[in-house]
Amino acid sequence: MKITFFRYFVRQALANIFKNRLGHLIGVGTMAIAFLIFNTFILVFVNLNHWTKEWGRSMSMSVYFKGEPDRVSLENIKKELLHFHGVTTKRFISKDDAMESLRRRLGEKAGLLDGLKENPLPACLEIILSRDKSGDSLPYQLKTRLEKIDIVDEVQYSQEWISRFQAIMKAIKLIGMVFGGLLFLAALFIITNTIKLTIYARKDEIEILKLVGATNRFVKIPFLIEGAIQGFLGGLIALIVLFLIYIIVISRVDLRVGFASLDIIFLSPQFILFLLIISGIIGFIGSTISLGRFFRI
Amino acid sequence: MIQLFNVYKTFGSKNPALIDVSLKINKGEFVFITGPSGAGKTTLLKIIFCAEKPTSGHALVNGRNLNRIKDRELSLLRRRIGVVFQDFKLLPGRNVFENVALSLEIMGVPLSMIRKKAHQTLRYLGLAKKEDYYPPQLSGGEQQRVAIARAIINNPLILLADEPTGNLDPDLTMEIMALLREIHSKGTTVIVATHSQELLKDTTRRIVALNKGRIV
Repeated sequence: MKITFFRYFVRQALANIFKNRLGHLIGVGTMAIAFLIFNTFILVFVNLNHWTKEWGRSMSMSVYFKGEPDRVSLENIKKELLHFHGVTTKRFISKDDAMESLRRRLGEKAGLLDGLKENPLPACLEIILSRDKSGDSLPYQLKTRLEKIDIVDEVQYSQEWISRFQAIMKAIKLIGMVFGGLLFLAALFIITNTIKLTIYARKDEIEILKLVGATNRFVKIPFLIEGAIQGFLGGLIALIVLFLIYIIVISRVDLRVGFASLDIIFLSPQFILFLLIISGIIGFIGSTISLGRFFRI
Repeated sequence: MIQLFNVYKTFGSKNPALIDVSLKINKGEFVFITGPSGAGKTTLLKIIFCAEKPTSGHALVNGRNLNRIKDRELSLLRRRIGVVFQDFKLLPGRNVFENVALSLEIMGVPLSMIRKKAHQTLRYLGLAKKEDYYPPQLSGGEQQRVAIARAIINNPLILLADEPTGNLDPDLTMEIMALLREIHSKGTTVIVATHSQELLKDTTRRIVALNKGRIV
């Protein structure tokens, strides 16, 4: 492309945006709304994905003892655990520690515990199984092995719950992809129509350019640049609004599931850049689709 | 330069706009196309610059068969044909200079050259002081001259003018006609469509008369 043409195209696109600023403002606003809906969906999806990964990464296992285990027995169990790959001991909670922790949790109502003659809470050893290293059968093997030890009362782990959660997540992902695809098409439809309106307002200009001998490419390119700029700006506004919503949500909402607190994450910088580029591309594609019907002169 | 062979043109189910029109216009000719309103003058001009394609028959312009011309070739051909439209077809959002520069911009002519040629052409047409005006700020005659300036700035082989004096008073009509003659004297083939008998009075130029789509 000749540099003269390129300069003309960019200058023309910017001049057109400035001249038809109200129309463009409405266009950018409409696109921003369409992108906001789409990006919100993406953000929810990213968070669901993040939570599944976080929970799936490590699995905790609790080994409950019949009484207070002596130091030697405990060390023996810890040594035994070292034979398993991906298993780490998190901490030992003695009966007293467990009671203390319960008291703290009850706060003012801790007085209720004073009536107890003896401490009913079991001592517990918390261990972590890394998902990356442990196979699916490891938790079960470990449970069977540990439960054979005399002083061990019971071994509990969250595998079942995680499996169910992951199955639900898989379904959500599938629905998400279909729904996301539909939202993407809806956004594209809205954007195409918005651009069509701005182009329609300038159909005389297209006709005149064609009649004085402009090639299709020459007429189209400034519109495509305009579409891409509109898309980019719409996408940028949508991301800024989404970020503000995110800030408000994380400051007011505390997501807790059981004792685990879920942190809500925002899109990564790479993902933001990706969405901005996609917004520009959608604007570009929208212009291309909209322009088609004006080139029959 | 321009050859039409048995050209028919119909729009939908309406009466045909052109019926069996055959015509040859040589390089450097000055031809009037005349006839009452609805005779097919504008359609004939549209066929020549390929805003319409013949329903049947063939049209050749500068050696190109317009029935088979590709988009890109069509654009290149239109650059050799200057058209002064009946309704001027100026871009209201661009000033006089920008409207006139358009014909050169689409060819990728460098900006410095565009400035030089546009100033020159606008001066030639007496519009030097109106460069920054927008079409709606100009009188009918001035807009007509801007349309002519845009049509001639790239020295076209053919100049088509559709009712170029339709909206003008007698003085301005004389002025515009003198201008067209001057452009013709430089070698451009000029075709003027008009329904005005006044314009044809005393002319020695060739006249092609149309009536209800036929050459009479």
